[in-house]
Amino acid sequence: MLNRQSVLTFFLLIVPILLLPGAVGIMDQRFMQRIATVLCINLILVLGLQVFMGNSGILSFAHIGFMGIGAYTSAVLAMPVRMKSMALPDLYSCLATIELSPILAILIGALVAGLVAALVSYPLMRLSDAAAVITSFALLVVIHTIMVHWSALTNGPRTLFGLKSATNLYLAAGSAVVMVALALFFKESRAGVLLRAVRDDEIAAVGMGAHLSRLRWYGFILSALMAGFAGGLWAHFITSFSPNAFYLKETFVILGMLIIGGSLTVSGAVFGTFAVTIAYELLRFTESSINIAQLFPKPVVGLTEVVLACAMIATLILKPGGIMGAREIGHWNIFRKFFPDKNV
Amino acid sequence: MLKVENLSVSYGAIAAVKKVDIEVREGELVTLLGANGAGKTTTLLAIAGVLRNSGKILFRDREISHWSPEKVAHAGIAMVPETRDVFADLTVLENLRLGAFTRRKDTQGCEKDLAGMFELFPILEERRTQPAGTLSGGEQQQLVIARALMSRPQLLLLDEPSMGLAPAIVDKIFDYIARLKQTGLTILLVEQNARKALTCADRAYVLALGEVAASGSAREISESSDLAALYLGG
Amino acid sequence: MTGQIVQFGIDALSLGSLYALMALGLVIVYGILKLVNFAYGELVMVTGYTLFLLNGSPLPWLVMALVAVIIAILTGISTELVAFKPVREKSVTAVLITSFAFSTLLQNFVLLFISPRARQVPLPDIFTQTVELAGVIVPLRNLLTIACAFIMLGLFSWALKKTVLGIALRAAASQFRMARMLGVPANLIITTAFAISGLFAGVVGILWLGRIGSVVPGIGLEPLLVAFIATVIGGMRSLQGAVVGGFLLAFVDVSLNYLLPQHLLQFRDAFTFSFVILFLLMKPDGLIPGPASGERT
Repeated sequence: MLNRQSVLTFFLLIVPILLLPGAVGIMDQRFMQRIATVLCINLILVLGLQVFMGNSGILSFAHIGFMGIGAYTSAVLAMPVRMKSMALPDLYSCLATIELSPILAILIGALVAGLVAALVSYPLMRLSDAAAVITSFALLVVIHTIMVHWSALTNGPRTLFGLKSATNLYLAAGSAVVMVALALFFKESRAGVLLRAVRDDEIAAVGMGAHLSRLRWYGFILSALMAGFAGGLWAHFITSFSPNAFYLKETFVILGMLIIGGSLTVSGAVFGTFAVTIAYELLRFTESSINIAQLFPKPVVGLTEVVLACAMIATLILKPGGIMGAREIGHWNIFRKFFPDKNV
Repeated sequence: MLKVENLSVSYGAIAAVKKVDIEVREGELVTLLGANGAGKTTTLLAIAGVLRNSGKILFRDREISHWSPEKVAHAGIAMVPETRDVFADLTVLENLRLGAFTRRKDTQGCEKDLAGMFELFPILEERRTQPAGTLSGGEQQQLVIARALMSRPQLLLLDEPSMGLAPAIVDKIFDYIARLKQTGLTILLVEQNARKALTCADRAYVLALGEVAASGSAREISESSDLAALYLGG
Repeated sequence: MTGQIVQFGIDALSLGSLYALMALGLVIVYGILKLVNFAYGELVMVTGYTLFLLNGSPLPWLVMALVAVIIAILTGISTELVAFKPVREKSVTAVLITSFAFSTLLQNFVLLFISPRARQVPLPDIFTQTVELAGVIVPLRNLLTIACAFIMLGLFSWALKKTVLGIALRAAASQFRMARMLGVPANLIITTAFAISGLFAGVVGILWLGRIGSVVPGIGLEPLLVAFIATVIGGMRSLQGAVVGGFLLAFVDVSLNYLLPQHLLQFRDAFTFSFVILFLLMKPDGLIPGPASGERT
């Protein structure tokens, strides 16, 4: 199972996550609290994407769709009954009287996302290359269309409001730590090792046939579970949202974090999330300062995305494996010196 | 005309060709012999600019080792790959026209050569409007040779032209090769069918496991009985 | 009754013309490089914003349209330079991501330098006029679209058959390496493919804007989706397939518009995309499989 280096990797990776509540406590500012919480939630999304993409080598666009499924499921289950009659007047009567605790609702949301993934994705797992990407893109569009039009459950394209706030920084950071362990565990599991072994070898992949589909399927389900969980956390943090939160813009941000950090490793997912979040917030701060100072006749929008897009392209050209490359942080020589592997 | 010095090619960790030296002089027909996997095709593809290699490939005293395939073609080397690679959904005529890509400005010359090809390979004229994918193996082999000749090459690289063809067709193909040699064309021929190749070649190299195991005039090679037993399939 | 048939026929044909051109622009690149260009929709966007920026200039409209199409072609070529060429040899996934990033980049340039809000584009009267045909009022722009598409398809298939470059493009789509060994330069082929892709997207852009009248940063998504569906149905690697797929999709779309009740009509995209997924699973090569293909470059 987990070898020494992976355990070391785990402990090294959770350090920055554990430091977050402390750092925010020192600064004691509400907007820092927000940034740190969203960072942890994004980290779970990026880790989820890494579980599938990093091990199978296949790009999935549908990931954020599962986040949406988790968000709406947990929202419908946990929303106070008296709010439901206002926010979701057409809700089916069996759901209208339910009010679960937010944590339970978030867990069920994750399970529903995983279940949907399990049901729809199995036949897709034998596709590779362009066909795989187009089908995952199509899947995202299908999920989005359903979210926009299933008004009884989602309030349609309009904002769904009325959720109690339930996610705080401690819950988000704690969950992120568990997810780091989960992602590392999958990577070193039999399925993860086999997937990585055939990732860059088409002939071996074809040789594995249906078995390969099943392994990819496991990865995809776990990935969707994590996305659904993150969606539930996010919903109970932000408390009002619309289907547009779960579409291409969010996909781009999450993908950018993973690509810049490096999709091959869990360390890359963690590093990318932190680095991009910090850069993102700084840029957003610059953007809003410019707008407040009215340096330009009209407000500046889109600067952050422009920079992120350039960074993504530059990463893929200059360092295709992302900044962390192919090795987990626990395998770095500098740590090997301090924690020599006795088995070797 | 062509000098290959110290050529090495590897696929990942596997070295397919190790330090091979080959020379082809103007007007010669040189054949590369050897068993499956000896590195013959790899050598040819390296000359054609398709495979990354280390070593030196000189063509008319210019180093072409790291040229792109299209640049090599423009320099006057035409390749006929063992997989034949006809453009299956292009017609025979279109395949031939594309063969003359390097000299497409010379429309008159192209038309003349086209007529010449139809004279040399009458079956192609019959099939001129058919998609190349519908041709038989022997016809496709004639087409790819004709396509290569359309560029008026100075050096023709022929990879296993007899592969997968019926014996009667093989005789015909070697007939054509002999005729091409008579016109003064320089040819580097890769063959597994050693006996056939040696009857029309001037000189021969025998490759084994990526290295040159023997070389000499075609007569020397064919008369050396242990060579035949070892490398040329008896 | 005849009126209805004429109406339906013209609706389906004009929409199909648009879809077919869009799909062709995507497939011409896919056929040669075996890579999907996610920034394809942004070529339509670029066309729209060029028209918008030229609004009020003294140029006649046709010149403006021509400039817009040329800008689309140049953007297509720059997609290749920025998103494809540097990572082409690395992995399929890398190219998909760079082209996706490039599409976001272009969209946000517009947000940054122009505006997130919709902008009117200049259009000549011909796009709003109507004519009477067999007793039904038909918008002139629909007839214009059909005419435009047929002229372009005609010219394109002529060029593919009769010019050396066209023959080389078709050859490269099936055996890229062999084409290079005959002296066809890889860069020439790839640049040409992207330029043609830009040309189609530009023309589609003009006609698309002629229907909706204004441009927003997200305008490219719908053409991209349409092109995806049409090519998946028709066959990812076949040019004829793209055209057939485009017309078929338009036929289905228009029929659903005529037949489906309103409350189901809003789920049309979900239906079509589920259909795409099923279609890819059952017939991965589409209706017209296209040339048996070898390697990527």
